[in-house]
Order: sequence, then C-alpha cells, then structure tokens
Amino acid sequence: MHASGFFLKDVAGFLGGYYAFVALMNGIAALILWRKKGQIGWALVWTVFSIAMMVLASLALSASPELVPALPASVRATVNRYSGPVLYTLGTFALLMGMFIFRKFFVRPMVAWALLNAMLLLMGLSMADQNFASIVMKPDNVPIVGLVFMLAFFTWLATSQAVVNDDRIARGLPTVEKENDEKVLVWPDLVYTELICMVAVSAFLLIWAICLPAPLEEPASSVKTPNPSKAPWYFLGLQEMLVYFDPWYAGVVLPSLVIFGLMAMPYLDFNKKGNGYYSIEERKFSYLTYQFGFFLLWITLIILGTFLRGPNWNFFGPFEYWTPYKVEVLNNVDLPQMFWGGLLDRPLPKAPAGASGLVQAGTILLRECAGLAIMGAYLVLLPPLMAVTVFRGFYAKMGFVRYMVMANLMLLMLTLPIKMILRWTFNLRYIISIPEISLNF
Amino acid sequence: MAEKKKLTVAEILAAARSSDGKGEAPTASPVASDSRPEDALPAEGASAKPTAAKPTAAKPTPAKPTPAAAQSAPGGARPSVADILAQARAKKASGEQPAASTAPSVKAKAPAPAATSVATKPAVATGGAKTGVQRDTASILAAARAAAKPGPTSKADAPTRPAAKPRESVKPAEEKAAPPRTVATLPPKPVKPAKKSATEGEDRRGFMQIALGSAMAMGFTALSVTGGLFTLGLARFMFPNVLAEPPSKFKVGFKDGFPQGKVETKYVAQYGVWVVNGDFQGQQQIYALKTVCTHLGCTPSWLEAEQKFKCPCHGSGFYKDGVNFEGPAPRPLERYAIRTADDGQLEIDKSKAFQEELGQWADPDSYITV
Repeated sequence: MHASGFFLKDVAGFLGGYYAFVALMNGIAALILWRKKGQIGWALVWTVFSIAMMVLASLALSASPELVPALPASVRATVNRYSGPVLYTLGTFALLMGMFIFRKFFVRPMVAWALLNAMLLLMGLSMADQNFASIVMKPDNVPIVGLVFMLAFFTWLATSQAVVNDDRIARGLPTVEKENDEKVLVWPDLVYTELICMVAVSAFLLIWAICLPAPLEEPASSVKTPNPSKAPWYFLGLQEMLVYFDPWYAGVVLPSLVIFGLMAMPYLDFNKKGNGYYSIEERKFSYLTYQFGFFLLWITLIILGTFLRGPNWNFFGPFEYWTPYKVEVLNNVDLPQMFWGGLLDRPLPKAPAGASGLVQAGTILLRECAGLAIMGAYLVLLPPLMAVTVFRGFYAKMGFVRYMVMANLMLLMLTLPIKMILRWTFNLRYIISIPEISLNF
Repeated sequence: MAEKKKLTVAEILAAARSSDGKGEAPTASPVASDSRPEDALPAEGASAKPTAAKPTAAKPTPAKPTPAAAQSAPGGARPSVADILAQARAKKASGEQPAASTAPSVKAKAPAPAATSVATKPAVATGGAKTGVQRDTASILAAARAAAKPGPTSKADAPTRPAAKPRESVKPAEEKAAPPRTVATLPPKPVKPAKKSATEGEDRRGFMQIALGSAMAMGFTALSVTGGLFTLGLARFMFPNVLAEPPSKFKVGFKDGFPQGKVETKYVAQYGVWVVNGDFQGQQQIYALKTVCTHLGCTPSWLEAEQKFKCPCHGSGFYKDGVNFEGPAPRPLERYAIRTADDGQLEIDKSKAFQEELGQWADPDSYITV
C-alpha cells in the first residue's frame, strides 16, 4: 500500500503500453476497413479513436496525477455506493438478457468492435484507480480478466454465426455450415494446427509464469484463515453458492447435479434441430437454459467472487478499498423463526428436556412444517403442475421419465437464484433448518 | 520337405479311396486306383453309409496287425488311415498329382462297400486287431490334420481333437510302435480306453484351467491380503505413538484475567479457542468457544469494533456468545469444556465440545459462572 503518486508511477508504464496497444489495434482495424470498399466511414472512426488512444497513452506515461486519464472521483464514488450483490446479479442478468434480445444488433462487427473498445477504455480508465488496479492486476486475478474478454469474444463469435443461420433458415436457405461443408484432413491439417497451438500455448504459459509469479504465502495453519479466503478462481462460483446454502447442498449436491445434468442433456434433448450448425431460434429453450446456468450461475459468480468479494466475504464496490472492518448488517433468520415468531407470534416448538427421540423428531417436524411444506410443494407439486401448464408440449414430447428428470434438474438449478433473492429480500437464511442433524436447506 | 506340406482334402480323400480300392481289387495298380474328386463322391457315400446296414453279409477278412503290413501287402485287409496318408504323402513327394491321374478302374469300387465296411466289424469283435477304421470323411480329415501337424503329435495331441468323433481315441503307446504318427482307430475295447482317455483328457484340459485359475486365485488372495494389511496399517496410522499436538487440557490462568465483556484471542494460534467472559441468556459466564465456523470450518476472526466473530470464507457472523446471526452458518459456535482447576486456574478441555442446538450449553461443564 503506497501513496497515490507512487502508485501512478508504478502503473503509468503499463497504462501507456495498454493505451498504445489499443491504439495500434484500432489502427490495424482502420487499415483493414480502408482497404475494403464501402467501409471508409468506419475506417475514419477507428482512426480517430486510435489517435485519441495515442493521446491517452502519452498522458498516462506522464505519470502525473493531474494528467493520467481516470474516471472522475464522483463517478467512482457513485459506482461504489450503488453496487451490491443484488444490483450486480440483477444488472448482469438484465445486461445479458438485453444483449440476447437485441442480438441482431450486437453481433454486427462494428458494434462488437465498439463494445470491445468501450470495455478496454473503461478498464484502462479504472486501472488508474489504486483499489481497482490492486485487485485486477493481482497475479491470481489476471486469468479472470482474460476470461471476461475471451468469453465475450467466443460468445459473440457463436452468436453471430447463429444469427446468420437463423436469418438464412427464415429465408429458406441452407445454413452456412451446410453450404461450406468443405472437408479438411485430420492429417496434416488438424494435427499441424494442434501442434502449432500446443507450442504457442506452452510458450505463452511459460512467459506468463515468469512474468506473473504465483504468490507464495505463509505455511498453512488450521487456526489461521487468510482474510479474504478464496477458492481457486474456477471454484469461486461454488464459494458464492455456499454463501446461500449449507455445504452439503452447495458443495456436494449442486455440483454433482451440474455434472449429472450436463451428462443427461443429450438424453433429455428431443429437439433434432441445430445439429451441426449454430442456431438460436431453433433451440431457444436449450440455449437460454444453458446460457442462464453457465453465464448467470457460474461465470458472473466467478467474477463476483474474484473482484467484488473482499475481506470477510463482504461485497466491495470495484473502486472500494478492501478493509476487513467494513460493517455490513446481515441479520439473517431461518424460516421457522419467521413462521412461528413472525407469523404466529409464538415461540418455536421445543421438545422438553429429556424427551424421547420420537418426541424430539416430532417436535422438529412441527417446527419445520412450513419449510417442509414449501419444499415439498416446490419439488413434488410443481413438476406436474408445469407439465399441464407451461411445459405441456414438452411433456407430450418427452414422456414421463424424461420430463420429470428435466423438470427436477431445472427446479434444483433454480433453487440458487431463488435462494439468493430470498436472502436479499427477506434476509432468509434457511428454508428448512435442522441443525441437530446438520440438515439445512 | 514334402512331408511337412499339408495335404489338401482332395488328396486325402483320393488316397483313402485308392487304398480302399486296393483292398477290394488287389490287381489295381496304385496309380490307376487314384480317383478324381468328382468320382470320389459316390464312392465315398457308398463306402461310408452301409457300415451298420448289413453286418451279416460280410465275408470276414483276416485282420492285418499293423498298418505297415497293410502297406506292404496291398491284397490284405483295408489299411488304416495312417497308411493311406503316408501313401498319399509319398505320392505327393514323388510329384504325382492325384487329380491328374486317370482312373479307369475306379468303378470297380462301387460294388465293394458293403463287404469292406462290414469287414471291420468282426475284427473289432475278435479284439486285438486294429484295422477297424472309420471311413467317413470327418475321421479321415481329422487323422490327416493330426498327422499333418509337425512335431510330436502322439498322445498329447489326442485330447485336442474335436469332440465330434467320440469313438476315436488314442491308442496306448505300446500298441503303436510301428506307425510314427497317431492313428485314429476304433479302440478294441471301447469302454475302458474311452473312459481312460476321458479322464486323461480332463486332466490335461483342466491343467491350464487349474494353473490359470490358481494363478488368479493366488493373485486375488495376495491382493486381498495386501489390502487387508494395508487397511490395518492405515488403521494403525490413526493411532500414532506420539501426538505432536498440544494436549487437549490446558490452563489459561485465573478468572481475574478475563474481565467482563472480554474476548481473549491469544489462545487461538496455539489451541484454537476463544476464552470469553460474556453474557449468555442473562447470565454472566466464562466460556471457551471453538474457533471453527459451523458452516464450512474456516477460522473466523474476532472483530472488536463490531463485537462479533466474522468468518472470512462465506461471511458468517456470530455474536460474542457464539450464536450465529448472519451469513450461512446454520448453528452457533461450539464450546469446549471449562472448569476451575484445583489451583484455581481455569482449565479448558478440548476433548469435549458442547453444541447449543442440542441443548448442551446448559451443561455446567460448558461454562463457569462469574
């Protein structure tokens, strides 16, 4: 931790190179567009942007607090004030849904390029903030930055092909994949490509490992937990799930269900379309369900866990200092307390001391009756109810067993967002809370 | 080496028939009696079928004791299969192609079969004679295959024959000194040798099974023994001779060291315990809280400013009395047993824990009233 002036000196070189890279990228893009006919306007736009980036690069290299381009302090403070797990999750959901609905607009190359530039510019401006930079530039977290950009790119790539195909299918044309079904040979085409990729990736990883060494910490101790204590980046989604659930569910059942559900997918899928080509229109349900589970319930949780969860697993805004003394009031209560204390205004049923096991079990069941009823209705009543309402067509096509598997997998997947919302809105900790046998849900 | 060459079926059959022909028509020359394959078919059918049809019509033929004798004296009884084969090989070695030879005298065979085939019967009945040879294609081929195999094929080879010819069996070794190869003959006394050969065959066939089976059995026995010993060793590993950990009972000083409202954190690093002088349900107590979060087992930290224990892993929070109030922790922190030792110091026993949700905090061992 050092003063702002020193920090800017440290980061100035990086930021200068960063902006220069963005400028070069846009310059190349402008050159390519200039050579194409009819894209002169865009070529000019990116040339101007490239020049602006060069200006920012020189400003950043000055390393003076007045000149280094950064977000205004008021903007940062506003972002910090309003960011929280609720806004973050709902915001990403809205953003992704918006991008999905208007995908025909967002997959246009120039729009995508503009979005990429906006992301890079925003990141560069934020990097001048010490709190942001200290988190984002941590060697542990660099892969997540790469993950954000790479996921954005590959999603754009697949979506743009799907949009083209959907358009062609709507016009009665064959798909792009069917039209250019030129075959290439495994040997040498594929194997050579793989070899080159292998060499390139190995070289990249070597350089990465040399430039950004993994942090070496003190020896592990069972009585000392680092604060914040974070899982490896690919498990941060799990760790975020654990905030809302008991370990047996979020750590064992849900991950197993993810694997089981992914394996079950080919058997549950009755839609023969979309085989061998990209398409969204022809498999909207599958696409949306998968992307919901993947983006909302895994990727955004990884990003949340990496960048926005600080000491004591508190939520911190992107420009907030990670203090372990941040006070966040989270008075969580279990459903039985709400039901008996809040609704019926009675104390929780409690077995008298020295009661037999049967009486104790009965008391526990009575105490948890509300949660048990809710969970029973959710998992037992809802699938048949959905079969005769929203999933009527699905049920007819899939048959009983496949439909039940699909419906239950979906309902169990939805327990996570539902539980998150319940936590935020009602401060609910557990719907069923039987700590006596470590069974909480 | 012509002997090593495998004979074709046509050659074998031709040789068999030619010797048959010799048996019936001794005047026929060996070359002339070779039959072409197309001629062989009716002859073969005729010679094979009527074996049991007319036993009485047979004119008893003196049985020849050895195949060698049959070869040397073509006018005698039918030669054995071995002889036929030997003859065929000799012919092949000398460059004669059986199929190429003309066979004007083949037709002479046609009336013969009844007599020839039945001729073997009395020989069997009298015993001692070993010319009772089956004449069907299968046995001829089997014998030929056995003989065509290079290397010693006498006894050991017999059990490997297809089971389709049950009457065929190996002759005892002393009986067949003269022929170099195994001869598939009808045994003189079918019952006893058959039994003997059956047991012998089972033993031999079973040898590999037993050898292999015992190898498997030994392997699995060794595996299970090793596994058992390994498990026992593991179990032993759970009870080490020396425990390199602090004793479960330790003293933390006198009561005065814990003023009201204080959370003593200096025993966390060594013992994993907070000693708290706090208020629980209106009663001022000194108790020892276990520093393990009840959610997933991280070590919470005591935040003096907020007067709470806060877990860094998933944000669970506990009041000073250890009761969970925020985050995912489903139950309060656990207490260790605490008592006033004889010297007046407080002694904490980590071997005993008390859980609030089980009503164990009411146990007087879990606290000291101030």
